[in-house]
Amino acid sequence: MYTIISPRLGTPGDEFIPEDGVNIDALLDGGLISTDTVKKSSKVKSEPKEQ
Amino acid sequence: MAISSTYLSNPSVTINAVDLSDQCTSAVINYVSEQLENTTFSNTSRSFTSGLYSNTVTVTLYQSYSASETEASIYNLVGTTTTLVLKPTSSAVGATNPSYTLTGAFLSAHTPINASLGELSTIDLTFAGGVLTKATSA
Repeated sequence: MYTIISPRLGTPGDEFIPEDGVNIDALLDGGLISTDTVKKSSKVKSEPKEQ
Repeated sequence: MAISSTYLSNPSVTINAVDLSDQCTSAVINYVSEQLENTTFSNTSRSFTSGLYSNTVTVTLYQSYSASETEASIYNLVGTTTTLVLKPTSSAVGATNPSYTLTGAFLSAHTPINASLGELSTIDLTFAGGVLTKATSA
């Protein structure tokens, strides 16, 4: 679920329901909406430990 | 003299669902069908048929780095596609206030800093491609 932060998208605090073609990542990265789902972080391959 | 000229004083410009009308000073929709020639020997004049549509929307916005303003709305759109909605006025969509929606438009470039001494900073953006639809009812 997405929540409106910016009044430019609607009433802050209301649920944001994206229409077709809307770039959600750009809105999230710009701080215009928030989401309650946690983004999975990309896996970082750790280097082998030296012995 | 034209009977009903349009003086755009209060148009509506929404980019990626963000209403940026109060930062916008210019908006142009180019609705273009590429022309493909299909003239043959039997013709006495050149003849064309429709090819791919090649639409663009060009807007000029005042730059602002504050929260929820121009930079926050535009920066992350570069290299992606989005949807734009433009209307002659902010009133409800109708026959005399059509809505134009460009879906799947690509933004290839943005100038985060475009400043001159003594002038308000503005940015020009061109969204290219996508499907343009016109609506005359909500």
